Amino acid sequence: MARYLYSSRIQFIFLLSMGILLLIPLFGLEGYRLRLLALVFMWVALAGCWNLMSGYTGYIDFGPVAYFGIGSYCTALLMIRGNLPFLLSLFLSGGVCAGFAFIIGLVTLRLQGAYFAIATFAVAEALKQIILEGDRLAGVEFFGGSHGLTLPPAPSELFFYYLLLFFMGMVIALTYLLSHTKFGYGLRTVREAGSAAELSGVPTLRVKTQAYMLSSSLIGCVGGVEAYWLTYIIPDDVFHIMRTIQMVIMTLLGGMGTVLGPVIGGSFLTLIAEYLGVKFVYDYLILVGGVIILVIILLPRGVVGEIKRRRGRSRWFF
Amino acid sequence: MLLFFQSLVNGLLLGGIYAACSAGFSLAFGVMGVVNLSHGDFVMLGAFITYWLFVLLGMDPFLTLPFTLVILYGLGYLLQRLAINRLVGAPPIMSYLLTFGFHLVIANMALRAWTADYRSVNPSYSGLTWNWSGIVLPVSRLATFFVAMGVILGLYYLLYRTEIGRAVRATAQDREMARLTGVRIFKIYTFTFALAASITGLAGSLISNTFVIYPQMGLPFTITAFCVVVLGGMGYIPGTLLGGMVLGIVESMATTYLTAGISLTLTFFLLLLMLILRPGGILGKGAIE
Amino acid sequence: MVLLECRGVTKLFGALAAVQDFSFLLHSGEILGLIGPNGSGKTTLFNVIAGLYTPDQGKVFFRGKSTLGLPAHAICRLGIAKTSQIMQPFTDMTVWENVLVAALYGGNLPMARAVEKADEVLQFVGLGTLRDDPASKIAVPFRRRLELGRALATGAEVLLLDEVLAGLSSVEIEEALQLLREMRRQGKTLILVEHVMRAVMGVSDRISVIHHGEKIAEGNPREVAGNPLVIEAYLGKRYA
Repeated sequence: MARYLYSSRIQFIFLLSMGILLLIPLFGLEGYRLRLLALVFMWVALAGCWNLMSGYTGYIDFGPVAYFGIGSYCTALLMIRGNLPFLLSLFLSGGVCAGFAFIIGLVTLRLQGAYFAIATFAVAEALKQIILEGDRLAGVEFFGGSHGLTLPPAPSELFFYYLLLFFMGMVIALTYLLSHTKFGYGLRTVREAGSAAELSGVPTLRVKTQAYMLSSSLIGCVGGVEAYWLTYIIPDDVFHIMRTIQMVIMTLLGGMGTVLGPVIGGSFLTLIAEYLGVKFVYDYLILVGGVIILVIILLPRGVVGEIKRRRGRSRWFF
Repeated sequence: MLLFFQSLVNGLLLGGIYAACSAGFSLAFGVMGVVNLSHGDFVMLGAFITYWLFVLLGMDPFLTLPFTLVILYGLGYLLQRLAINRLVGAPPIMSYLLTFGFHLVIANMALRAWTADYRSVNPSYSGLTWNWSGIVLPVSRLATFFVAMGVILGLYYLLYRTEIGRAVRATAQDREMARLTGVRIFKIYTFTFALAASITGLAGSLISNTFVIYPQMGLPFTITAFCVVVLGGMGYIPGTLLGGMVLGIVESMATTYLTAGISLTLTFFLLLLMLILRPGGILGKGAIE
Repeated sequence: MVLLECRGVTKLFGALAAVQDFSFLLHSGEILGLIGPNGSGKTTLFNVIAGLYTPDQGKVFFRGKSTLGLPAHAICRLGIAKTSQIMQPFTDMTVWENVLVAALYGGNLPMARAVEKADEVLQFVGLGTLRDDPASKIAVPFRRRLELGRALATGAEVLLLDEVLAGLSSVEIEEALQLLREMRRQGKTLILVEHVMRAVMGVSDRISVIHHGEKIAEGNPREVAGNPLVIEAYLGKRYA
């Protein structure tokens, strides 16, 4: 009976798109273009994860990069110091991130909106500092401090293309599937200040925690993938606040709380960044700032959200 | 022992400066519920205005203050009037994102215009120190401290002893009631934000002879402001002084007894701790949301 | 059968006792009216029963078991649902989805059954035509029905209705009272906080009167209406 809530047309479009993306490399896509597409997949996945938590609940997390960093470092350390194979390390890192998310969530998820945002931001920055200074203070040679870590050599670009495609597909599918489940509805009630959700029987803290853990572990996995991809990680990069900002702005631009929002926002901004980024770093950031300002003032619901609003329906691509 | 007192005094001087830098942030939040993530950039702009006036016109840093006040007031006015006022009643995330957008634009335009080089303002008296029974007090820091105190007291006076200050506080407490009693809400908001910006810019001008200045110094100051204001109580101006002092002393002690790097982490932990245990600030008078 | 019991409930806000040593029994299938002047503590009492506030003294018993320490969502699942005076629809969802969530979580129903329940409830409260409208955009009287609908969809046996008749016209009040009677026929037990006197007096089996947080009278509507303490509380000493 609940099946009717899912549209088979949408499922078809999704599978078709994934199929096309799977097959593209066989038609000669390689080198720079392959990398670029993989990068797009990565950002769409990251934005999608952030959207899953903050987009739907409206409870804004300003520290997702913390998990990206934890995932990167965890994967790197397991591979370097533990000599574990990549996929196992990745999987374990996801678990570690979920664990951290649970602990951090225990203290932060009870806070009111603005304070949650500040607290999560503080956690991310604090983690960066800890990794930077940790070795020196403890007198060990573990995290590599500001020198970072070097991972074992990676397989071909194609490997990462498919891996990131997998993650992107999974995040999008997960978002879509969840949005029509009890959990998905529960998430959207958290948005309201006040007690309406609790009075309708929604255990808001539990729901927030579950979303937070899910989102964070996936972000951590993507972090692990990037670590292996780049072969070299430093704290300033994997814990950089710009990653958080990108995730937020991509989702915002595309539309928070929608399935397609991160896809549109993520692709668009990643491609613009590539175009401007190499030569005009500051220009890219100024542009991002300008986009943010314009979106907030003119398009607060994001592209997809505005389209939905104009169509007057709450259920379109959900 | 002397080291301890030196640290303490350094911390107090630093604290006064932090307080001045953070008062505007508390004001914006207390009155409008706006968490201004571009706050630190006003500090940066104030510092650069002083820098350029000093370098190009040879003006003494303390004489540049009126310029900073006016210019930053204008900037704050424009930002509020054209953009932030549209967000009245919208969910808070909108104001974080909007002001973060401001930050990106302001900080990076500054970066483009002035490059990332570190600069400092060194008037002729910058090296002077006063020795008070063994404790070294740089004269410019001391002067800065007193001006900062003056700024905070002036703000306090404005808010609690004048007509317009009353209107501001009324709006902060209950927007609808204030409107019903004839207060022009949007004008008050514009005034408040412009005031916050100008004070922050002023603080930036003051610190130009204490800290190095560079276009990206804004974000750390925004973080500092968060911390000060959470410690002192969001929206509670007198608390900013306490918050500034506490943070200043903590940082100073940490720098002396641990390392410079760890002090930032400590700031964050302090912030987290406060948010979890006592979101109303040390005195408990802040807004809890 | 005693379904709900309040025993000596006290709730303090600082030095002010919003509710003071309040006790009452609620029997299965009855409609209890809770009246009192503005600020007498009615909504606070409701919030305590619903689990939003923890009483400083006293306990609430549902089916004989204490609900002390249970979070609001758990109490809702147990079978006590409350509507809010300040209507809070889930703004991101349609009217139907609002009710669906309550059925899914509060009612703990599987998706298929919850969908059916949501449809039923919407029909019952008369919001069927508005089901796909964004909940934040519907007119005020319909929002009250939505509040009621959500509470019903949780499947709760005891419904705490906070001023659901406020602002309605005479005709609308009559319709609402019909709904309430029908709900009782379907096995619900209701506590009504109301200011619309003739309505609450007309539909309730019993009335409790609260003033400055304390119970000052209880009995059937006629007894209570004639009680001098009650008249004094509402109109002042002169009229008692």
